[in-house]
Amino acid sequence: MFRDATFTDVDRLAASDACTGFVMDEDTFRAFYDRTARGVWAYLARVTGDRQMADDFLQETFYRFLRADATHDSEAHRRNSLYRIATNLARDARRRSLLRPTANVAGHDIEGVTAGDRPGAAERSADFSRAMSRLKPRERAMLWLAYAEGASHREIADVLGVRPGSLKSLLFRARHKLAGLLAGRESKHAGR
Amino acid sequence: MQAVECEFESEVLTAVLQSRWPERTDAALRAHVAGCAICSDVAAVAGVIENAREDMQADVAVPDSGRVWWLARVRARREAAKAAARPITATQLIAGACAVGLLGACFGATSAWFQSALRGVGVTLVEFDWAGELIAHGALILGMAAVLFLVPVAAWLAMRRE
Repeated sequence: MFRDATFTDVDRLAASDACTGFVMDEDTFRAFYDRTARGVWAYLARVTGDRQMADDFLQETFYRFLRADATHDSEAHRRNSLYRIATNLARDARRRSLLRPTANVAGHDIEGVTAGDRPGAAERSADFSRAMSRLKPRERAMLWLAYAEGASHREIADVLGVRPGSLKSLLFRARHKLAGLLAGRESKHAGR
Repeated sequence: MQAVECEFESEVLTAVLQSRWPERTDAALRAHVAGCAICSDVAAVAGVIENAREDMQADVAVPDSGRVWWLARVRARREAAKAAARPITATQLIAGACAVGLLGACFGATSAWFQSALRGVGVTLVEFDWAGELIAHGALILGMAAVLFLVPVAAWLAMRRE
């Protein structure tokens, strides 16, 4: 994919020319990327459940963001656009995997790679990953945006393309399902 | 109708995110959470997700912003060059077809053998029993016509998707 791109001398010269069609200049982009990239990667990894896919989609997300013909009036608006692009990429990948079940799109499971060094972190991470994997991708995205990213209901609705009016009840159900799974209760709605 | 939000939800969330839950939270809020399905779910879920976020963000190594910017610029230039080359390719195709047509016309106008052969074909076509052949080999002719139509359409669709 994109990260496998190789450069020729012509590419290097071409890339050094003034760049057209990007929504921001290099300095602004780099500062914005440094503020958001880890969060977007974590979101993609949680929604897709695949760290390799998260790596690929991270670059694609920022590329599409740069090329989008959009004007952003605030940092929050920019972040929303970014997460919307990431959500669409993850959704498209899931649709492709449903259409072509033989394609291995979830080969690099997120479980166990996010444990960190803290005591009990490995077990906690494994339990959480297992519980999250029982949720639907949209539920995972919704919960992550709400509780890891601190997004408002309106922002979540905007990113996921759901009606703001429906969000509260959708979030309530997803949260209840995850709480049940974490507590070891089998939710009757659990599963993809 | 089942309630889907609680007025104390944000208070519980704040306590969890500030690591005050449950020990350093007032007894009234703890008592509320014990009896409120919504707040108890928030308390159970928010802390776990926050911990997972911290673990992930501490461990993940994202590519350097300069590299991402560089790759994006190279890719943008490549795509721009590709898009600019597309009309040239179409023009070259049309010019090629015109040249072949012109060559064919010149050859047809100058070659006596070709003109006699063309007349022979013309006579055959005039005398050909179209109605009879169509009735006898209708299905075959229809099939061939469909293939002749479908192949270019399929090629066009495939190229458009690319």
